[in-house]
Amino acid sequence: MESAAVNAVYALYSDPDSAQLAVEGLRREGVAERSITVISSEPFEEYEFSRRDKPTWIFWIATAGGAVGLVAAYLLASITQRMWPLVTGGMPIVAMWPNLIIMFELTMLGAIIATVITLLITARLPTTRSKLYDPEISNGKILVGVENPPENSIEKLRQALRATGGEVHPG
Amino acid sequence: MTHRWGMAIDLDRCTGCEACVTACRAENNVPTAGPDQAARGRAIHWIRVERYYEGEFPDVRVKFRPVLCQQCDAAPCEPVCPTYASHHTEEGLNAQVYNRCIGTRYCANACPYNVRFFDFANPVWDKPLNLQLNPDVSVREVGVMEKCTFCVQRINEGKTRAKSESREVKDGEITPACAQACPTTAIVFGDLNDPESEVSRLSRSPRGSKLLEDLGTKPKITYLR
Amino acid sequence: MNLETRNKINDDLLRPVLHTSPWFYVIIAVLGGIILAGLGSWMYQMSHGLVVAGIKWPVYWAFYITNFVFWIGISHAGTLISAILRLVNATWRRPVTRCAEVITVFALMIGAMFPIIHLGRPWLAFYLMPYPSERGIWPNFRSPLVWDFFAISTYLTGSTLFLFLPAIPDFALMRDRTNGLRKRIYGALALGWQGTTKQWHRLESAMQIMAIAIVPVAISVHTIVSFDFSMAPVPMWHSTVFGPYFVAGAIFSGIAALIVAMAVLRRLLHLEEYLHPVHFHNLGKLLLTMSLLWGYFTFVERLTVWYGNSPSEMAVFWETQTGSYAPLFWTMVFCNFVIPLPLLSIRRLRTITGTVVASSLIVVGMWLERFLIIVPSLATKNLPYSWGFYRPQPVEIMITIATFAAMAFLYVLFSKFVPIISIWELKVGGHPRPVLTPQEEEEAQELWRVRP
Repeated sequence: MESAAVNAVYALYSDPDSAQLAVEGLRREGVAERSITVISSEPFEEYEFSRRDKPTWIFWIATAGGAVGLVAAYLLASITQRMWPLVTGGMPIVAMWPNLIIMFELTMLGAIIATVITLLITARLPTTRSKLYDPEISNGKILVGVENPPENSIEKLRQALRATGGEVHPG
Repeated sequence: MTHRWGMAIDLDRCTGCEACVTACRAENNVPTAGPDQAARGRAIHWIRVERYYEGEFPDVRVKFRPVLCQQCDAAPCEPVCPTYASHHTEEGLNAQVYNRCIGTRYCANACPYNVRFFDFANPVWDKPLNLQLNPDVSVREVGVMEKCTFCVQRINEGKTRAKSESREVKDGEITPACAQACPTTAIVFGDLNDPESEVSRLSRSPRGSKLLEDLGTKPKITYLR
Repeated sequence: MNLETRNKINDDLLRPVLHTSPWFYVIIAVLGGIILAGLGSWMYQMSHGLVVAGIKWPVYWAFYITNFVFWIGISHAGTLISAILRLVNATWRRPVTRCAEVITVFALMIGAMFPIIHLGRPWLAFYLMPYPSERGIWPNFRSPLVWDFFAISTYLTGSTLFLFLPAIPDFALMRDRTNGLRKRIYGALALGWQGTTKQWHRLESAMQIMAIAIVPVAISVHTIVSFDFSMAPVPMWHSTVFGPYFVAGAIFSGIAALIVAMAVLRRLLHLEEYLHPVHFHNLGKLLLTMSLLWGYFTFVERLTVWYGNSPSEMAVFWETQTGSYAPLFWTMVFCNFVIPLPLLSIRRLRTITGTVVASSLIVVGMWLERFLIIVPSLATKNLPYSWGFYRPQPVEIMITIATFAAMAFLYVLFSKFVPIISIWELKVGGHPRPVLTPQEEEEAQELWRVRP
């Protein structure tokens, strides 16, 4: 993970409380919500800086994936059973009860795969572009910063970040 | 007219001689297991004569019952086969398609009559026994299931002959090997869809019952006691 | 939790991955040897046919299907711990989740081998796959074996993803701590993970959905495995209780396997600070519940058969209760119920040692239970003339032992390359009381204000 190629101003903090203060400091400087980046090695769900996101549609996408699986299973079973009708055990050619089992399994598979694909797309994984990162994050530091800041505000942002006690980068 | 092949076995006439067992082996290229493997439960008998003893000496009675594939209309062996190797034909036979069989042996477990057999090894016929093989019947390789087919090769031959002579199949014209060999004509084979046939008449007999009928398998062999 | 503690956690949990002791090579060599012997046995069986195995007329399923059901059962460990405990917010699950999920994935892989090993013609196993073949025929969707194919494929896919997704942040940590080829591999596995709040949010939502989805899949998998038996008109197989019975037995054996695995890891990888007696305590309580549940199902099933008094079922019943299989049956009852019950219910005995002893017995007992469901029923079917007796052969025994070795082998390999305790999830468990914004503070006060 290279950070040199990314144009950003950021600071590293040792604990989530100071990271929260840093985010509020940036807000006071007039930085837009979506321009503030917070990166950490673990989620801090109880802190406000983690919860600025809008609710996700992932549940509905998973349901849609399940519906696709359900239809696919029904078509697979009923069409193939009719293509070469072979009587087994006196059961009907298109047997509802066993087909329900196949339909259930493919529904769940559809939901699971839809969830994973949605995760990968929305979290922008896998990625090969250079992203903002600092190896200190793995040592527990929290990165708070702004990507691609306008030229004239860089010094102001660095002041704001330094005021809340972080080690500012670039140095 | 669609045929519906069935069988009637008169248990009063059966003497337990097992001529049917021998004839079936010869007709259908059934492999021999040898004494060691037979002791380990690998012997294959498409038809077998079950022997039960009743009573205490000197009032012992022996009961014989030839048991073969009952060609059930609601066969439990058919829905469980994952590859459709076991399925029901239009003429009421339970067909075993060796090419589709991958040897899961589920059909054998599901069969309440235990009439399905697994080929544990590739069959070997030492010379000159190989000259005795029936060319109308395939030789099964290791790993597939096999069972009584009501001598489907003879059924097909009979139907083909009748068609070439532009007539219907006559009752008694098609005989499986077991029925042909039985010295007391205890085994009768024919078309259940033909109300005049011998097997239909015997199936309607008040002496008739079916084996393990209460399991709901709808077997097609009527045993007369 | 301060920075120092966080780094200590990183160091402790990464140590088994970054440093290799010579014992690792010894264990791998021994287990690898056993696995090779097992593979050799299988090749021998494939070249000579199943004549070398112990199966016969009428016992056509025995050791291999026992192993199949057993391993698929063991795989329910992960789902219970990971998914259900995640859904009910049980925080003590955090160090335990990955151990459990790893058991699930590997047990499924091993279990799924057995339907291929037991086939008469295993080279044609692909006939089970639903694809437009040149033969023009599709699999028979009415067969429980085809249901097995779909269920196990779905569960394996779901479990692997369930294991891999929360491992991504740990792969990122590994990426930052290694160099050279290892850095590139972990970097590839981490998929470029940064750790932005958006990514964390997305990951947690996805895990929530996966947890909800994987539970019904797990239940359906072992129910469908039970359908392999209950759909056939075999005495004491054709029972309506088999679905729940098998699922309960699966969760039971899964938790037992997990406790054994955790105890071994704790000792070998020096994880005493992370896997505390309280984890074994809580898992022990779950195990006790499952033991009681298993006892309940067994009692209900046997009581129903006894009252039903059907001749073919009673033949099987007496065979297991007082006949040829009685020694195995009563050993099973002892291992699953009689001995674990005091060990797990008396608080003073529910220590790490106590739970491990109970769990080991339960693993043995559950294997016996699978065997006793399959073989006595097949040996004693409807027509007495066809009754038989099964005796296992060396091929079957060797392959069974090899699968246990394979499980241990895969587990050891995994813990060498991936931290066996989920590092970020462990850290989250230590977070302090939440900091609320002023608006949330006001709302909380509103909620809790005492009304006159």
